Amino acid sequence: MATAETGVQAASPGTGEAAVRVRDLTVVYATARGELPAVAHVDLDLPAGQITGIVGESGSGKSTLALALLNAVQRPGRILSGSVQVAGVGDVVTLGRRALRQARGGKIGYVFQASQSSLNPLKTVGKQLLDLGRSHDVADLRQLIREAKGLAEEMGLDPVRALGSYQHQLSGGMRQRVGIIFALVLNAHVLVLDEPTTALDMLSQALVLGIVRRVHRERGLTTVIITHDIGVVAELADRLAVMYAGRIVEEGRTEEVLASPLHPYTAGLIAAIPRIVGDPNRSRPLSGRPPDLTTVPPRGCPFRERCPVAMDVCEVEDPALVEVPGGRRVACHARGRGVAVR
Amino acid sequence: MGLVKTFPGRGGLLGHEPVRALRGVDFSIPAGGAVSFIGESGCGKTTLGKILTGLESYDGGTLAIDGQDVRRLPAGRRRAAFRRIQMVHQDPYAALNPTRTVAQTLSDPLRMRARELSRDQSWIDGRSEDLLRMVGLDPGFVLPRYPHMLSGGQRQRLVIARALTVDPDMLVADEAVSMIDVSLRLGILGLLRELRRELGIALLFITHDVATARYIGQDGDLYVIYRGRVVEHGPTDVVIERPVHPYTQCLLSAIPVMRGLEDAGPERVMPVSDEMAEETPCLFAPRCPFATERCRTEVPPLSHSGGTPQEHACFYPVPRRVVPVDRPVTQVGAGPRG
Repeated sequence: MATAETGVQAASPGTGEAAVRVRDLTVVYATARGELPAVAHVDLDLPAGQITGIVGESGSGKSTLALALLNAVQRPGRILSGSVQVAGVGDVVTLGRRALRQARGGKIGYVFQASQSSLNPLKTVGKQLLDLGRSHDVADLRQLIREAKGLAEEMGLDPVRALGSYQHQLSGGMRQRVGIIFALVLNAHVLVLDEPTTALDMLSQALVLGIVRRVHRERGLTTVIITHDIGVVAELADRLAVMYAGRIVEEGRTEEVLASPLHPYTAGLIAAIPRIVGDPNRSRPLSGRPPDLTTVPPRGCPFRERCPVAMDVCEVEDPALVEVPGGRRVACHARGRGVAVR
Repeated sequence: MGLVKTFPGRGGLLGHEPVRALRGVDFSIPAGGAVSFIGESGCGKTTLGKILTGLESYDGGTLAIDGQDVRRLPAGRRRAAFRRIQMVHQDPYAALNPTRTVAQTLSDPLRMRARELSRDQSWIDGRSEDLLRMVGLDPGFVLPRYPHMLSGGQRQRLVIARALTVDPDMLVADEAVSMIDVSLRLGILGLLRELRRELGIALLFITHDVATARYIGQDGDLYVIYRGRVVEHGPTDVVIERPVHPYTQCLLSAIPVMRGLEDAGPERVMPVSDEMAEETPCLFAPRCPFATERCRTEVPPLSHSGGTPQEHACFYPVPRRVVPVDRPVTQVGAGPRG
């Protein structure tokens, strides 16, 4: 066995109706050593109406997974196999170019990292909204602008000022909100946010997350937040999926995953967060560093070198992601041996 | 009379108004102590760090290092005084010269130090290795490498090792871990704590993240800075557990609750606006949920008014429980069974 494929078949995520259903998704990047998987045999359901947090360190494959949800992986990467079923759209992996363009923005809205800027510095926000509308063959551009202004207001921005602004005139928190306007103005029902608060300080982060929560509820969205910081999704997300080396290693309801992590990696991530209450010394650093594409071991559990409970079997067999009672999934040979954080 | 720094206006949204980065900030850092400055970006905390390391001038107030006003020192001794305070920047990528190996990065400042101490090349080599080991890097592995061959965390450790080459008495860490993956931050923070414990190096920790400040300096003082002014100052845990200034309360309320492990603080508050509005006597008044007319007509002085253990600049000092509360340990959900 010793492959992730066996694991995938053993797992059967089932949590109500899924707005997005990812099955056996593998995304590879071309490297000097051939095509290597950044996302390996991922199965994930994004339950309709819920917020899912996808957490992982640099190189875990979380951003690649997010791009694959829109079939927007850029060269030298490509989707090798698997499917991404989006409700009302179909499998985005097999969608034609035109249909795909309509789906992006029209059904699935994507907000890029706060630190990067996806806005054109030479055009006002309003002009770029019109460009977006034209590229999506929107007949009534006035209505589009009205919709955008409504969204701006919903998020506490002065609509006229926001649409008349250039990128450099907006603060980090404002840019994130403008990003959300672009993602939702065509009435997308799935919202993907990649590191929405990375460059923001605490107050702006809380503000942006509060807005995400409100817009999510008011519009009945299905929302995905990609982050390296469990803290960002600890309060907001209904469910957490933890990624490591291109695999999902644990998934479940947020409070359960945080209170009793089943995977030693999840436990390590939680313990590494300095807390504002209790003894600060209960926080412990996670040892080692995450692998990248080229350093993921070809067999066995990719986490074993940093794992405090690694066993012989972890050297040779990649643990399958299996369902455990309570609608949770975990990929660890040591489960049942009691991996405790606290 | 505290430190004052005003920058000339540079255009942009704020127009050509001068930017008052520091409006009279008083603080002291005891030898070997830990002090944290907390605030949002643009509050002046970075300017403070730069002034302390001699990288930025100031327009008013005095800065004394070891009791000596640095402006009254002759240039040579002033440079020497500032050299005892070393900066660890936010961005370890920008702080290192990409064309110099780790060995070269350390040997340059060490050579100067060797001259002062009349030591030879073998001392420099030995010291390089000692410093690298001290910051948790393997000398054999990193010495011949260039900065781009190291991870973000390793680079930040190297920046700290370089700061240690001059045997400083104090490190200023300005958002020193904000560009590093959360999973690896604690390692760097732990290193800073260790340097303080083992070498008696004082720490000035500048951040927007109160939890990391607490990890670094639970036994030290916390200064909360808003638009160039200290609004609350006291022992770290007093300010965290019983904050009285609404701005501090907003900052602490912004810390996300770890669901399942914590419950939200019962009295969380958020600012009523997120825009940097016009200047009012209390600078926080336009965003404050509790502001009254008095806050818009009179400057609240920094004091212990209301008998609080910490200093604060608010006319209405009410302690509020805003930080998350630990949940008692219980097993939730399925438990570790497969």
